[in-house]
Amino acid sequence: MTTSPDTALRSPAVAPALALGPAATQRIRLRRALRGNPMLAIGSALVALSVALMIVGPWLAPFDPQSVVGVPSTPPPAALDWPRLVWTSLTGAARPPHWFGTDASGMDVFSRVVAAPRTDVAIALTATVSSFALGVALGLVAGYFRNPATELLMRASDLVQSFPVFISGMILVALAGRNVGNIVVALALLYAPIYLRLTRAEVLSQRHRGYVEAARALGNREIVVAFRHVLPNALAPAIIQSSVTIGFAILMTAGLSFVGAGVRPPTPEWGLMIAVGANDIVQGEWWPSVFPGLAISLTVFGYAAFGNGLERVYGR
Amino acid sequence: MSTGAFVLRRLGVSTLQLLALALAVFFLIRALPADPVARLVGQNPTPEAYASAKRSIGLDEPVTTQLGRYLGVASGSSGILQGDLGRSWVSGAPVGKEIRDALPITIELVTIAFALAFLLSVPIGMMCAVKPGGAADRSAFAYSLFAGSQPEFWWGLLFVYVFFSVLNVVPPPLGRLDPMLTPPPSVTGFITIDSILAGRWDALADGLQHLALPVLTKVFVLSGPIIKMVRQNMVRVLQSDFVLYARAAGLPPTRIARYALRSALAPAIALFGALYGYILGGAVVIETIFSLGGIGQYAVRSILSFDYPAIQATILVITAISLFVYLLLDIVHAVVDPRVTH
Repeated sequence: MTTSPDTALRSPAVAPALALGPAATQRIRLRRALRGNPMLAIGSALVALSVALMIVGPWLAPFDPQSVVGVPSTPPPAALDWPRLVWTSLTGAARPPHWFGTDASGMDVFSRVVAAPRTDVAIALTATVSSFALGVALGLVAGYFRNPATELLMRASDLVQSFPVFISGMILVALAGRNVGNIVVALALLYAPIYLRLTRAEVLSQRHRGYVEAARALGNREIVVAFRHVLPNALAPAIIQSSVTIGFAILMTAGLSFVGAGVRPPTPEWGLMIAVGANDIVQGEWWPSVFPGLAISLTVFGYAAFGNGLERVYGR
Repeated sequence: MSTGAFVLRRLGVSTLQLLALALAVFFLIRALPADPVARLVGQNPTPEAYASAKRSIGLDEPVTTQLGRYLGVASGSSGILQGDLGRSWVSGAPVGKEIRDALPITIELVTIAFALAFLLSVPIGMMCAVKPGGAADRSAFAYSLFAGSQPEFWWGLLFVYVFFSVLNVVPPPLGRLDPMLTPPPSVTGFITIDSILAGRWDALADGLQHLALPVLTKVFVLSGPIIKMVRQNMVRVLQSDFVLYARAAGLPPTRIARYALRSALAPAIALFGALYGYILGGAVVIETIFSLGGIGQYAVRSILSFDYPAIQATILVITAISLFVYLLLDIVHAVVDPRVTH
């Protein structure tokens, strides 16, 4: 996006690598892509961290993230004490402290922050995969087969896109029931039209290419041509978009619980933690809301940076 | 096509779109498994109390009758076709009036934030485009990527902590005006404009102080995508033939920049419309943090209390405004760039 895109991959320095095997080439390509593209490197690291925490986060939590484990509103230990505290808790000489303090009800903020990706990131990933699958399939059909039915599909997609996203998300989740499954469904429905539109546009630009004609001339059925030949060539815009969607889905999941239309307490969830901490920040108790907010901030930035890096690798 | 015909056609399409939206919302909220009657009568009601509450809000009637009354096609009732948005099930007040009170607060916030973000981002975006890949461009790019992906409710709280709790330079985040202050007489509903009309400089100053942090938060988040957009368009225009010609003809750089800005902003106008609609619908969290009492907070209240008439009206009004702004900017676009109407 900045300067000329894709230089990392097309530079003459990469050419000798083509003589190597495909695996080696890929490794070199990846290294080049990361070196010429710091955003992709930062993004990949943050994305990997968020996915890792989604899997192992709850096991890393030193305290039960869903129960009262300490004195309410305990501030985090002073920064100077951290090295000593890290040492004593690693060697088992003392119980681990409340690294990020405790919230107004006495739950451990650190445990909740590292356990929350199991909610936030899992919701965002599932919702994105669902909207990707739904939107790409419908977009392929709408772009490849052009008839009154697909025209109707486009109008329906326009209609969904004319809804204010956040308020529609609140309505879907609050009225269907505030649980994880409904949040996933709501986000998937609201984000699907983006993929539909991107994929349809790409299919429209592909459908008259020579390879499509060739596949058809070989006697393939239309549906086979569409799904086996056109689809793989029309995926790039949707793939680039998906990283951004995951970030937005995390923001939306957190935002929904912040206004009271998302998951219920005491689920460890970043937006909910910020909402609980919001009441205390006016009195100067910053830690219950600052740490979960920092987690959202870094995670969503990570997905945005990763998406931006992908965009440059794909040369768009 | 003349501009007049273009506007008429767009108005027609927008009206149809709104009607489709109204129907979609009407059926959607009734298809979802929520029980608004239970919300009204509370826990463990007698069957009689439940039935009478259900009757009082008209949910005992068949859906077609409800729809007829909502639209205003049933005899003896007025509905959205007559401009009547119904009565709130929670407060009993006409929804139209409640929205008229809340809406100016949101529009004021969003418009001020949007204008400031725009004024700030356009020069930055231009500066980046003049030297792509330079230090200024790279830092502005990192900023826009970062700011465009931030949880605004968290930044709002951080600003409250820094500017109210620690520095104490702004009023507490508890409303649009100091509760001890008599608000200026309502003429337009916009506190800023009403205070100026009434010559109430104390209310103007207080109102602006209360707006400072919400606007700061919005500008911080919004300027990201705007910088990115202006920069991209500007880079493209600066590489175009007419700029090359202007350079070759020896025009001064400021004049070239002015020409380039005009053709860089024209295609972005439609995008600004979409962005305005987006932040109007996204004012929910920021209003919640600062208790501003705008349409976003009204939406939260209606949705969490299953107040169907209020939910339907809120979505309809927000979408209508975004479509209107969109249309307005399209007309501006058509005037700036006549190719659009052809």
